[in-house]
Amino acid sequence: MNDGELNKEFFELLCYVLTSARGLMDEPKMYGPFRLVDTASRIISILEKHGIADDFLAEERKKIDEGKYSVMESEEKFKEFLDRIIQDFAEELKKS
Amino acid sequence: MTSFFEVILKRRSIRKFRDQEVEEDKIRKIVEAGIWAPSAGNMQPWVFVVVRNKKNIEKIKAMSPGMFDLPAVIIAVCRDMGLAGNFEENISIFDVAMAAQNMLLMACDLGLGACPVRSFNQKAVQVLLDLPEHIVPELLVTLGYPDESPSPPERRKGVVFLEKYGGDGWF
Repeated sequence: MNDGELNKEFFELLCYVLTSARGLMDEPKMYGPFRLVDTASRIISILEKHGIADDFLAEERKKIDEGKYSVMESEEKFKEFLDRIIQDFAEELKKS
Repeated sequence: MTSFFEVILKRRSIRKFRDQEVEEDKIRKIVEAGIWAPSAGNMQPWVFVVVRNKKNIEKIKAMSPGMFDLPAVIIAVCRDMGLAGNFEENISIFDVAMAAQNMLLMACDLGLGACPVRSFNQKAVQVLLDLPEHIVPELLVTLGYPDESPSPPERRKGVVFLEKYGGDGWF
C-alpha cells in the first residue's frame, strides 16, 4: 500500500468534509444528508482503491452512487434510497 | 447545424466526464462567449481563471463539495469587487451569471459537457488560485467531454402569464 497516496486521498476527503460543513450553513437542508451519503461513498472508494473494501462495501458503494442523485428528484425518493442502504448495512452488521 | 434553440434545449448539467483533454481553441471560444455577455453599465465586472493542470483541478475539487467528478477544465468565474461599486455591487452578480450562462451554452454547442458549481468554498478557491481579496470566485464552470447524458428534468408549468399575474398564460 502506498501510504503517501492514501494520505493524500484522506486529506482530500477531509477538505471535502470541512468545506461541506461550512457550506451547509448556507445551503439547502437536503444537501446535509446528501453530503453525508456522498462522504460514505468517498470513504468506500478509498478503501476499494487500496484493496481494503470487501464485496459488501463495493456493492453498497455502487448502490450509493446510483441512488444518491435522487436527492435532485424528490425528497421521498431520496429517503427511500437511504432507508434501503441503511437496511443493507443493518443486515450486514447482524451477521457479524 | 444545430439551431440556437436546440442548443438551449440540449444543454444539461454534466457531472461525469471522460478522461479526455479539451482542445485549447474550444476553451478559448467558451471564455470568449463569456466576455460577450451583457453587463450593467458595461462594467464587465468579471475575471475568469482557466485551470487545466490536473493537480490544480484535484485541489479545487477537494474544496468543492458540489463537484462530483474530475473535469478536464475548471473555469473560475470571478467578480471583481473593485469594479462592482455601490450601484453595481448587487447587479454585478447578474453579469457574472450571464457570462457563465453564455459559456455553458457555448460548451454545449461545441459538444462539451459543463456544469456550473456553486457549492465550493470561496475563500479556499481564492487561496488556491492566488486571487486577491477583491477578486471573488462566484461560480466554477466544470468542462469536459461528457460521460453521461442525463434526461431533461421537467420544467415548472404555469410560470408565464399574459399582461398580468394569475391571468391567462402560456406553458
